Amino acid sequence: MKEYRARGGYEALARFIKSSPEEIIRQITDAGLRGRGGAGFPTGKKWSFTRAAPEQPRYLILNGGEDEPGSKKDRVLMENLPHLIIEGVILAGYAIGAVKAYLYINANYQAATKNITDALADSKAAGHWGQNILGSNFSLDIELTPAPHNYVAGEDTAALEVIEGKKAWPRQKPPFPVTVGLFGKPTAVNNVETLANVAPILLRGPDGYRKFGTPDSPGTMIFSLNEDVNCPGVYELPFGTPLRYLIEHCGGGIKGGKKIKAIMPAAPSAAYLSPDKLDTPLEPNAMRAAGSGLGCGVVQLVGEGTCIVEEVLRMADFFTAESCGQCPACRMETNTLSMLMKKVQQGQGGQPILEQFGKVLAFNKGKGFCNLIAMPGPPIESALKLFPADFAAHLATGKCPAN
Amino acid sequence: MRVCLVCQNIDCKSRGSEQLMKEFQKRVAARGLTDVEVKPYMCFGACQEGPNIVLYPEKNWYAAVKVEDLDEITDHLAGGPHVQRLDTIDSALKELIYQLLDTGIL
Repeated sequence: MKEYRARGGYEALARFIKSSPEEIIRQITDAGLRGRGGAGFPTGKKWSFTRAAPEQPRYLILNGGEDEPGSKKDRVLMENLPHLIIEGVILAGYAIGAVKAYLYINANYQAATKNITDALADSKAAGHWGQNILGSNFSLDIELTPAPHNYVAGEDTAALEVIEGKKAWPRQKPPFPVTVGLFGKPTAVNNVETLANVAPILLRGPDGYRKFGTPDSPGTMIFSLNEDVNCPGVYELPFGTPLRYLIEHCGGGIKGGKKIKAIMPAAPSAAYLSPDKLDTPLEPNAMRAAGSGLGCGVVQLVGEGTCIVEEVLRMADFFTAESCGQCPACRMETNTLSMLMKKVQQGQGGQPILEQFGKVLAFNKGKGFCNLIAMPGPPIESALKLFPADFAAHLATGKCPAN
Repeated sequence: MRVCLVCQNIDCKSRGSEQLMKEFQKRVAARGLTDVEVKPYMCFGACQEGPNIVLYPEKNWYAAVKVEDLDEITDHLAGGPHVQRLDTIDSALKELIYQLLDTGIL
């Protein structure tokens, strides 16, 4: 905590606990902060909706479920900067007028849980949370809840269910948590990285924050690179940085000196990009225009010599395994896609089988409570479009052209 | 080999599709239809009209099947008449599912 305070830690709290919650919301809105959990919803808007909801009490949830395969950013933040997260939680709690904040942290993250627990004790002793924070009228209780580590447990409404003591099953939306959330009360669910941005924004002001990034996506984002590059890790870059910079400069390029065959900029649920899109800016709108998305910033590479059929089969099976099973359409879709892709891999079904993927996806479009049902589509459909030769080879020989 | 696929997604299970499948298997065996296999299928995407039984490769689809209907369906399998009142699924969905089955995912 000493170290954090030496760098301006808890100054934003000391300053803004004396101003109004509305002022905090205004600054966060002006800064243009968007959620970093994948959906990119404007944080200021989420807070003002929660604050405006008539029901009492209100709750805040720090979503540290981080179940996307390959995502490490929230873990790194919680392990290394626990006070930054806690200060963000307290400020967010004050902004929405919460009585209690739940820190929902991936149960596998032992070091993060320990460091957050220790930091919570220190910051409570310093009067930063609990009754009458820093002598103000605002009180906030904070409690830690371990998050199950299956994929849908990181979905915001699944987090509500777990904290209520139930299975990690997403709820049907609407109503959205901002009006009917935890225990039926207004709740803001914010990702760890999102809340890590709050104190720095309040200290520097919206203009200071907007010195980084693009007008529509101000600030920075943390990207996760995995074993497919020479230097795996998490890298914080301003929005708008070219994808190439992340892969080549930060990641040291693809492992083994291979050529890049495809890029998945928001694993596991984005569309593949071909290598000619390497200069696309890391920014949600630009990624959408290129045909993909940015999600929560897990960037994966497929090297030349890797068969895309094997890759998408793995993904299809991942979604089948991770579908929580409560929505019939999601079970139908994910299972059918897996079965079809397995047939393709084994070289069965002939060319007509390739036409079935789009039909199954179209049939299930818009169904299901959560977004999982929409996730297998982009990787599969983009793979079919970009790499028809891989599919044709599997169908012709039942073997992988890469092996 | 002909197959009779009985859907087993959660909606239809809650409407008794597991029991329905067992009863159907008994009737098919009792009738001595050795060329017919009654087996589970994940889902035909017609949960609101389930449980569903799809006969393949002849492509007959019976919806909202109850145990009381099984004798008639078994008759059909043995060469009896098509059970018209259970044939309620729209043709677009039928086509989607039949094409999927044609790829070999049984």
